[in-house]
Formats: sequence, C-alpha cells, structure tokens
Amino acid sequence: MTARRRLAFVLLAWSAAAPAARAAGQPATATLSATISPQASLTLSTATLVFPDADPDVLNQIPSAGGPVTVSAKARATAGQAVVLTVLASGDLRSGLDVIPASNVTWTASGAGFVAGTLSATVPAQVATWTGSGLHAGSQQYFFRNLWTHPTGTYTTTVVYTLSAP
Amino acid sequence: MIRVLILGAALCLVASMAAAQPGPRLELSVSPTSISFASASPDVQPVVSAAPIVVSIRIRQSTGPWSLTVLANGDLIAGASTVDITNVSWTATPAPPFQTGVLSKTVAQRMASGSGNVNPATNGSVTFRLANSWNYSAGVYTQTVTFTLSAP
Repeated sequence: MTARRRLAFVLLAWSAAAPAARAAGQPATATLSATISPQASLTLSTATLVFPDADPDVLNQIPSAGGPVTVSAKARATAGQAVVLTVLASGDLRSGLDVIPASNVTWTASGAGFVAGTLSATVPAQVATWTGSGLHAGSQQYFFRNLWTHPTGTYTTTVVYTLSAP
Repeated sequence: MIRVLILGAALCLVASMAAAQPGPRLELSVSPTSISFASASPDVQPVVSAAPIVVSIRIRQSTGPWSLTVLANGDLIAGASTVDITNVSWTATPAPPFQTGVLSKTVAQRMASGSGNVNPATNGSVTFRLANSWNYSAGVYTQTVTFTLSAP
C-alpha cells in the first residue's frame, strides 16, 4: 500500500469512527418498589359495658349504659379479600358460682358493613365485614336479656374483638 | 482514483470535526438503582421514606442551560392493584441545583437545573417518599422511573 493509499484509508477509518454529535439527553433508570403488607387497626369508644339493674316486667332488654359502642376499623387487605370484625366472649357471664349464658347479650348495629348479632362464648360472632382496604366506622348498641330467672349478683365477662385482614 | 479517495476522506473528516465541535458532554449516573419503600402502618408513618440515592451529574459545556428531569413510566403496580404515582415525592440536596418534586407519569418533572459547566461532577442526595394510606391494597408494587439529563 502506498503512502497516499494508507493516508486515505486512515482518514476514512478515522472519520467513520468519529464521535457522534452532542447528546440531546442522557438517560438513567431506577426501579421503585413498595411493599404494602396486610395490616389492621381497631379502636373502640369504650372498654367497659355496664347493664344497670331493671325490673324484667318493665324492661326485658336492658341497653348498655353510655349508649352505643362506636367502632373504628382500619384495614389494608389484598384486593378483593374480605376484612372481618368479630367479637367473642371469653366465657359466660359469671357471678361467683352463678352463670348467665353469654347468648343473653345481643346487639344492634349501624354503619356500612355492620350487622346485628348475639354474643357467644364459643364461636366468634360477626360484627362487620368489608371487602378490601379502607377505613370504616360504625356502632353497636348492646342489650342484656332481663329475666326473672337470673340469680341476683354482679356478673362479668370479657369480650375480645378481632379485626382480620388477609 | 486515489485523489478521489483522499478528497472524500478529507470531506468526511471536515464533516466529523464540525459535528464534534464543543457541544454539551453529559454524564448521568444513579446509585443504587433500586428504591424501596418498606411496609409501615399509616398511623405510625404517614410518609414512608426510602433510603437516599445518589444522582451524579457532570456537564461539560461553555454556556447554556441544563436540566435533570425524572418521569415515571406509570403508576405503582401490584397485579391488578395500583397506587397513583403522584403519591411518590422526593426531597433533594444540595438545593440548588437540586429541588424537591412529585413524580408524574405524564410530564417529566424537574429534579435539578442550572446553566454552564458542572465539572467536576456534582452528587445530589435524593430521598423518595411515599404517602402512606390505609386505602392501599396489600401487595408488592413496582415501577420504573427514568432520569434524563439534558442540555439543549
């Protein structure tokens, strides 16, 4: 190859390999990821329910003093899955050796998703159900079934609310 | 024939040199490229912050404006569930040239801007934040975002 040919070849190769024109924009990418786990939060307006004494002939369903229990439920669930609020008595109402079945306690309900029900010491009773995530509020008015056959005494039990979000 | 080759090569050289005149030289890097928001109760953490990332920019030019923008390629997605990307915002330092903003999937949002040279490179610390909510469906959401450094 002559000198002139080599020069022409080098010039052609160099010009072909010359850098591109200015870049209009230099990009870079990143990936966002967010983990949203199922969660639940439950707030009750009171931790104590009291049914005052009354004459069964005058009042056969005694409402709890203080009015309805307001319930605030917050839940994050998988889309389309049910969020369920239940209540379960830890046992029947007891006063010493005397026992009144928990089923003598009932409630009415207001608020979207809330339902009326009867307390049980064996099977969780459904208080409310919703679909998917969100904030929900409602109330329960508890009643005690007043009977002449109940032995006198001061009866107590504990109830446990459970809010579950799958 | 040789003369024609030399003339052609010379013309190509002139053309390539003209194209290589001092234009903006842009360098952009993001590290790490994975930005994660951990799960948290919205009552405890109304806003969830990811670990800061470093956005490094280097601009070699004589004069003229430059800008760094960021654009989400869509909403945060987990299967059929979505979280609107406008729930993701960021804070950035140093300001200027960096600035705070809110992600968009339709309009590139300015993350930094200035004019002239940025040489040596400047590192920005960018912290992305997710507005937390009880209304989000459970899931692992992802989306990509594109950073673009440009100097017209």
